[in-house]
Amino acid sequence: MSRANRMSGHQRVFTRRTAVAGAVGGMLWSGLALRLAQLQLIEGEEYARRAAENRIRLDPAPAERGRIFDRFGQELASNRRNFYVTITPENVAKGGGRMDELVKRLATLLPISKSRQARILRDASRQARFLPITVADDLTWEDFSRVNVHAPELTGVEAQVGQLRSYPLGAAFAHSVGYVGRPNDQEIAKVVDALDGDAAAIRRLYKHPATRIGKTGVEYFAENWLKGQSGYKRVEVNADGRIQSELDSSDISPRRGGDVVLSFDAEIQKFAMRRFGDETGSAVVLDIESGDILALASKPALDPNDFVSGISQANYDKLRFHTDAPLYHKAYDGTYPPGSTFKMVVAAAALEAGAMTPDERVYCGGKTWFGGRYFHCWKREGHGSMDLHNAIKKSCDVYFYEMARRTGPQAIADMARRFGLGEAYALGMTGGARGVVPDDAWKRAARGEPWYDGETLNFGIGQGYLTATPLQLALMTARIARSDVAGLPNLMLHGPKPQVAATPFEAIAEDVAERLRAGMFGVTSEPGGTALRSGDLGLGGPRLAGKTGTAQVRRITKEERASGVRSNESLERRLRDHALFVAYAPTDNPKYACAVIVEHGGGGSRAAAPVARDILAETLRRDPASKPAFSPEDPELADIGGAGRARTEPI
Amino acid sequence: MAGNISFSRRQNLVEKLTRLPWFMLTTIIAIATFGTAILVSATHGDAANSQLAGDHAIRFVVTLIFAIGLAVTPIRIWSWVAYPAYLGAMALLIGVEVAGVEAGGAQRWLQVGPVRVQPSELMKIALLLALARYYHRFLEKGPASAWVHVGAFVIIACPVALILKQPDLGTSLLLAATGGTVIFFAGLSMKVITAAIGLVVIGAPTAYFFALADYQKARVQTFLDPSRDPLGAGYQLQQAKIAIGSGGVSGKGYMQGTQSQLEYIPEQHTDFIFTIIAEEFGLVGALAILAAWGVALWQGLLIAARSENAFGALAAAGVVATLGFYVVVNIGMVMGLMPVVGVPLPLISYGGTAMLTVMVGFGLLMAVHIHRKDSL
Repeated sequence: MSRANRMSGHQRVFTRRTAVAGAVGGMLWSGLALRLAQLQLIEGEEYARRAAENRIRLDPAPAERGRIFDRFGQELASNRRNFYVTITPENVAKGGGRMDELVKRLATLLPISKSRQARILRDASRQARFLPITVADDLTWEDFSRVNVHAPELTGVEAQVGQLRSYPLGAAFAHSVGYVGRPNDQEIAKVVDALDGDAAAIRRLYKHPATRIGKTGVEYFAENWLKGQSGYKRVEVNADGRIQSELDSSDISPRRGGDVVLSFDAEIQKFAMRRFGDETGSAVVLDIESGDILALASKPALDPNDFVSGISQANYDKLRFHTDAPLYHKAYDGTYPPGSTFKMVVAAAALEAGAMTPDERVYCGGKTWFGGRYFHCWKREGHGSMDLHNAIKKSCDVYFYEMARRTGPQAIADMARRFGLGEAYALGMTGGARGVVPDDAWKRAARGEPWYDGETLNFGIGQGYLTATPLQLALMTARIARSDVAGLPNLMLHGPKPQVAATPFEAIAEDVAERLRAGMFGVTSEPGGTALRSGDLGLGGPRLAGKTGTAQVRRITKEERASGVRSNESLERRLRDHALFVAYAPTDNPKYACAVIVEHGGGGSRAAAPVARDILAETLRRDPASKPAFSPEDPELADIGGAGRARTEPI
Repeated sequence: MAGNISFSRRQNLVEKLTRLPWFMLTTIIAIATFGTAILVSATHGDAANSQLAGDHAIRFVVTLIFAIGLAVTPIRIWSWVAYPAYLGAMALLIGVEVAGVEAGGAQRWLQVGPVRVQPSELMKIALLLALARYYHRFLEKGPASAWVHVGAFVIIACPVALILKQPDLGTSLLLAATGGTVIFFAGLSMKVITAAIGLVVIGAPTAYFFALADYQKARVQTFLDPSRDPLGAGYQLQQAKIAIGSGGVSGKGYMQGTQSQLEYIPEQHTDFIFTIIAEEFGLVGALAILAAWGVALWQGLLIAARSENAFGALAAAGVVATLGFYVVVNIGMVMGLMPVVGVPLPLISYGGTAMLTVMVGFGLLMAVHIHRKDSL
């Protein structure tokens, strides 16, 4: 049987059509081959010449980073001129030099430490050889010109002028504003994933010596707002890829990043930082009406300028392992037992629940028996007969034990949350602690145990599991001072808005709030008040109202109690109590609220109240709420054509 | 005929493996090996990309094993999954329309947990299978009538329209071209084909003005006049041509291409990888790659022609058309013969999705070869 007969009808068609398809394919292949021949044979020499002279190359031009201002336009983060020197390993090799020798030679001209030299050589062996490595940053004009003078003998070295992030106020805003640094490989990988664009171009941009990204604080949160849009500049290079000059025409100019305005008043923040002196701790100042955060100080602090060009591991470790935790934003991330500053919340819960009336009296004999043990008042000999006003004024613990016992933990916890505790506030920077508002459900989840009645008593004086951030305590104070405001903290006046909205304030009854304020006024302004010495703002009239608190750092044992509680002065510093003070001013028309924690400061009235008083006095003197806030000019939005950036997405 | 009888009975696994198209298999292994070597050069000295060549090699080996698994799968099963695969891919395409992830201005992906599915990629194989199965029924009885071809046209038009809407012109054109090839092999009269080609010639300018998005128009304009966009695709194309041309006859040597190593060409490890071959290995190397692909596809055409069942023949022809489309469009693009479209050079460009599609295609080709005497 012949092959043709075996074939069915479709196969005969098929054989013919295969021949046609083969012919078409052959034509296409010939076309490609001819084009290759045209490019490589006929025009080959011309292209070889152009490759050798390929002088125009696209280099990424990082955008200028947006600035960060305080509410009156003072620069918290800006950009300044930076002289820096780079080495491109590939060019060193092409010039016949060796990296290690060249780095040594440079070290004689510039201040480059031994460890920095090692890091340069390590980077050179790790990353693409055509990528420049920054050798020295932020040089003086003298150093910079010295390199320029020696340039002919330093093949592969380039002296450049760029911009560098700078924080004019140094440590004052280290925690809130944060800092920028060079992106590391993981961060670049994250950007590549997120942007879904030309990965090679993104990598090249982020490896550029001038590129910085936000690492912490507002710098991190507002990265996309601040970073702007990078452009390309056409640079003229020689055959070795060394840049000869920049061609300004027809490049895609970078678009400057957006500016950010924060609610801070830099002068108040600086004052607060100064006022702490050598003490550590934090201070928060709020504008009660708007919720604007005027100061968010945390001591000790670090200088963010140290991070911009890269901090050495040794210096970083020094900060990291420092006992006073300078890397930590104590005002926003630090949680402390609020101690007696919490007593107004307990009172609000009790009055609202009807568990007690303000005029009802409780006798304080210095201690109370409950659940098989004594609960002590801070005043060993007792306060005698106490009503609410006096109990707040004198901070009587026994009164609040009784009040808490009658009110119950759930009502107190609910009221604590209404006053803003137990919630992390998204302000537009990294961090934000929630703290703990304990109740039965929390304890079962966190500790696997039910709530014990004795814990209610400790809850009543702000001790036990309860913790709060200084920001939360300032917010609590603001909500006590004024029931008619939104009572939500706000940081971003101009910039990207935080994603998570805070829980709105559900105001307590005005007559209850009035009682709390009267008590706080008593603390600072009536005989017997625990902070009587700190009531006068020194402004010839306005006073502040506040409440002292002490957060116990160590546990007082029964034995110590029996032999007499040791005074804070007799303890080594790290065992001393934290001193707290919350306050608002002026008393007749509350405008500003403040919370201060002096770590290991001992008692609130002695260590924290004077600090809070001075900060509030400075705030009232400046009265930022009465002045208009700064609004930045919007960056010129240079239009960048789509085609220029599009690479090869499918059409 | 004894030989014929022994071939027609059910083959066991060992028999099937011995009947793999070894020549074609060797060719694609050679291409992929060369591709890995080129990727080493493309990412040379770039620490952030240093793992790409290794990834490429591993992906090839894994998908090759998968393809051999597909190759021994009886042709009946391929035919059986044809419609469900097509309908499934259609459902996903509609899903993209409703709930797709937008990236780079186009809606192409479906996010299922951590997995990103690109339904248009599935459709590339599913459409071929569905068309082959559709025609098979009619062709067993005799030449297909005009109405049968109209039905095939509808099968092609549905996914093409959906993908065009994403918008992804490149993939729509690929599906239209490969679907058209299957219709051609199914015996559509040459008169109609001539008329259709005429229509495209007239229709293309119309489509340019009414159907293309602005950025797509910009691509076409840049292709026609690269100096319009010297910083974007035009720049890329200029640099690509310099790289290819300067390679000359014998090339600058492995890892010695100045254009490639100095990173004048963006996307050189994906869509523009051919420029490195041409620059570092010259005309000799570039023609070798062209020839290798020519051989592989010619083997594929022979497989199509020798299949005794229409299903296998048509599916194989479709796969050859798909791969041919990739090769011609990619190499044509980097040499400035076509607009810059995001089509990879199969087995050589870095990229997992394309690798999987290509190797599933080869699996199908090999399955048709092994089961060429089977009837459905």
